[in-house]
Amino acid sequence: MKKLLHISLLFLLIVSCRKNDEDTIEGPSLNDLYGPFSILDSLTLYDNVNFSSGESVAFEMEISKKTDWEIEIVGASTGAKRKFTGSDRIISLENANWKGGADKFPSFGLEKSYVTIRFPNEDGEPTITDSITITGLKKDEGILITSFEGEFKSHWDFFNQTTVSGSITCSDDNAAKGDCYYKWDGLVTWDWAIGSVTINAPESGFKLPPNANNLFFNMGNKMVSNTGMKNCFIQFWFDEDDNGDGVFNEATEDRFIYEYWYENDQWNLISFKYSDLKYDSDGNLLEVKGNGLPEPSKLISINVFFLANKDSGIKSEAYADHIIFTENETYKP
Amino acid sequence: MKNTILAILALLFILPAKSQNEKFQINGAARSYLFANALQIDNSLDSITPKKSNYGHNLLDLGISVFPNAQTEVIGVFRIRNELGGFWGGGVTFNVRQLTLKGVANNVVRYEIGDIDLKMTPYTLFNTQEEGFINESDIFKVRRDILHYDLFYQENQWRMQGAKIDFNVLTNSIVKKTNVKGYLTRQKASDGLSQPERLYGGGSFNFIGSSKFNFQINSANMFDLTKTLGNDSTKFTNSIVTSNFNYKIINNENKSMKLSGEGGFSDTKYINNPNSNAPKALSDWFYDLSSSIHIKKKKLRFTFGVKDIGKDFRSPGAQTKRINYSKSPGLYQQFTNNYIGREVTYSDIITGNAAASFKLSETLMAYNAAYSNTNPFGDATPNRRGIYFHLEGLDSVKFKNSFIKCLLLQESVGTGTLERKSFALTQMGTTILLNQFLNLKKTLKINLGLQNELTLRGGEAYEQINLSSNFIDAGVSYEFIPKLNLLFGTKIWIAKGNENLIIRDEFNTVSDFKPIDINFSESIIAAGFKYDFDEKNTLTLQYQNFDLKNNSIDGIDYGISEFNILYSLNF
Repeated sequence: MKKLLHISLLFLLIVSCRKNDEDTIEGPSLNDLYGPFSILDSLTLYDNVNFSSGESVAFEMEISKKTDWEIEIVGASTGAKRKFTGSDRIISLENANWKGGADKFPSFGLEKSYVTIRFPNEDGEPTITDSITITGLKKDEGILITSFEGEFKSHWDFFNQTTVSGSITCSDDNAAKGDCYYKWDGLVTWDWAIGSVTINAPESGFKLPPNANNLFFNMGNKMVSNTGMKNCFIQFWFDEDDNGDGVFNEATEDRFIYEYWYENDQWNLISFKYSDLKYDSDGNLLEVKGNGLPEPSKLISINVFFLANKDSGIKSEAYADHIIFTENETYKP
Repeated sequence: MKNTILAILALLFILPAKSQNEKFQINGAARSYLFANALQIDNSLDSITPKKSNYGHNLLDLGISVFPNAQTEVIGVFRIRNELGGFWGGGVTFNVRQLTLKGVANNVVRYEIGDIDLKMTPYTLFNTQEEGFINESDIFKVRRDILHYDLFYQENQWRMQGAKIDFNVLTNSIVKKTNVKGYLTRQKASDGLSQPERLYGGGSFNFIGSSKFNFQINSANMFDLTKTLGNDSTKFTNSIVTSNFNYKIINNENKSMKLSGEGGFSDTKYINNPNSNAPKALSDWFYDLSSSIHIKKKKLRFTFGVKDIGKDFRSPGAQTKRINYSKSPGLYQQFTNNYIGREVTYSDIITGNAAASFKLSETLMAYNAAYSNTNPFGDATPNRRGIYFHLEGLDSVKFKNSFIKCLLLQESVGTGTLERKSFALTQMGTTILLNQFLNLKKTLKINLGLQNELTLRGGEAYEQINLSSNFIDAGVSYEFIPKLNLLFGTKIWIAKGNENLIIRDEFNTVSDFKPIDINFSESIIAAGFKYDFDEKNTLTLQYQNFDLKNNSIDGIDYGISEFNILYSLNF
């Protein structure tokens, strides 16, 4: 009897050894796969948000199961869009925190924005809608060259073919960011060159950092007319004052040229690392007249040149906006 | 065909006479196996598949044992197989079935090199029996024995290629004797691209203190060899270390009582695997403790045990299934007008048409929940805990192989939900020697085996599981003329309910579930004759009819009938 008792105690001791994983499951949750969908804690948004003062919009919701969701914010005037996607059961600051940016150009303005939350994999694709008004824009991180807001600067230059109007245009809701942008518009049948704008550095310079390896050039561009693959492009000239005399000498100093060809007729962000300017599109070193090194601190002029097919017989139209340098990453509209 | 059989028989009678030599022996087996199958399916479902197939083979396993000296033996078993219909060498294959060098070095260390059979404990290295037989009757057993012989599934051993050693160390301490075993085998050759060379090795130390107590430490390891691939980056390792013991608490005239158990842990690593789903490491542990009491006068033995196998316990040597349920069986592989792959039934398992495992699998293989849901991967099935008991009646004049076995297990961790599946498996069997009751001189034997398995899970509608399956394995053997037996047997499997099949990825991680409805009845009825020329020389003629009624949605009803003649001889 005593031995039986000892054995029983031994059994009990061993049985009690196993950790009890009450909150652990193996594999994906059946609730997520087959459970009913419902909103346990619905979305509540403030009426206004001021991104310039550091505010952000956290979309907070709790749903009954893990399922795919997407939150889309659309600017009422600009048409700017920002989308968040995920499949977590709890939507929160961690996975859906809007700091005022758009996924691409155009950027949001001071406007009303419509919020739509969709659950595409659920029966009937339930949708929630709401809105929020932007009272302050997000602050850009980077060195802004120009967003073409205001008048044409006296130290800039421009070139337009005789049949082309090239100028800063404002208040027509077509800007990529803000109210104004630079626009070329005209029919040119004798030359690919349509027009250009040369952003010369002010006397104080562009104040760019010296390291080209983590510096990105960014600009918004939209090609509207006489478009098509291999039909139009933007050419950038980056002129560097290698000898520091305050003047660019084409014969002895570096002019790095970069071409961006048409991809679509929407606003696109042209973005590349400044150090990559020393290579051509095939990855070969460019032949330049100076020391051959992209040196942002020596940049004294950026020429934005619009070119389009002269034989197409239609007018050429393109926009440029928001020239900005960023460090370590590309610009986030 | 007749000539072939006669030639084989002649050879077999001649060979023993010539092999009576001190330096070598000849032994082996021969058989002739003929089949005539017919698929029974509604013509509206299948008007494409050829319904009838006839095939067979003659086969000779010629084993030669050479004894170069008193302590060394070289064994070679060569298989000559001639498919029915082959003529003048067509369809004839010659294979080396076994090449083994074995001996004793310095009268101390026993060794075997080449093709070796290995078995350790049910949690380290153990070839668990396939589903579908409980105290099986002779008519099915005859065929299964042939199948197990062909696949080297003898006594739960795995056939591997490598080397093993075994020696004893005698001491004068509390531990009187230590038996040391070790082995190293090759599991996979490198494919030169992504699969490095894979080895499997391990061993045990068995410390024997007295006849009352022994304690053993076991280790089994599967691992990839470095520098067998160009990039030499990925590597898989699985290590299991267990200890088991036996302790006789009481041993007197009336009863004996024993405590035994095994416990240990496994550690699995996927090193530098480029797949983001690969877990870096998986570790878990298990125990299985049981106590048994043998009441000698009543010829009864009762065992009670508790076990807990962690969800991440991985032991390829013990968890590899004999049957690969993910592959369609060899016979009528695709059928119906839509050429769908036929799923493995236990009829295919009996007839040897199901794909069988020859190598250890590092992944948990597919299984049929209706056939086995409590312990689909044997005793080492991960994510199970609970109790079991086993009542065994020791053989008597009138009854043999009598037992009741019951497992009441539950998942250690819920699969896909906090609700856990509960399993209840009951098996019972007995062999009744009816001639002892009826005072018949000739053997009249009834084999009975029953199994009931329940799987239950509560919770919300999408979590609920209720699956029951019942299996009957019965048969009669009657020696109505000396050496000539009339055989009859049936196997019936009825399953109904639902289950969420667990889908695992290549790393054994549960990646998905597949809800299934099960509602079928499968039955085999077989009848035939067996003539025993002597203990090693048997001729069997039998007819069996398999019938599947599948009542689930999209289920297909069909049957397969088979007539076969088997002549087998061991020498």
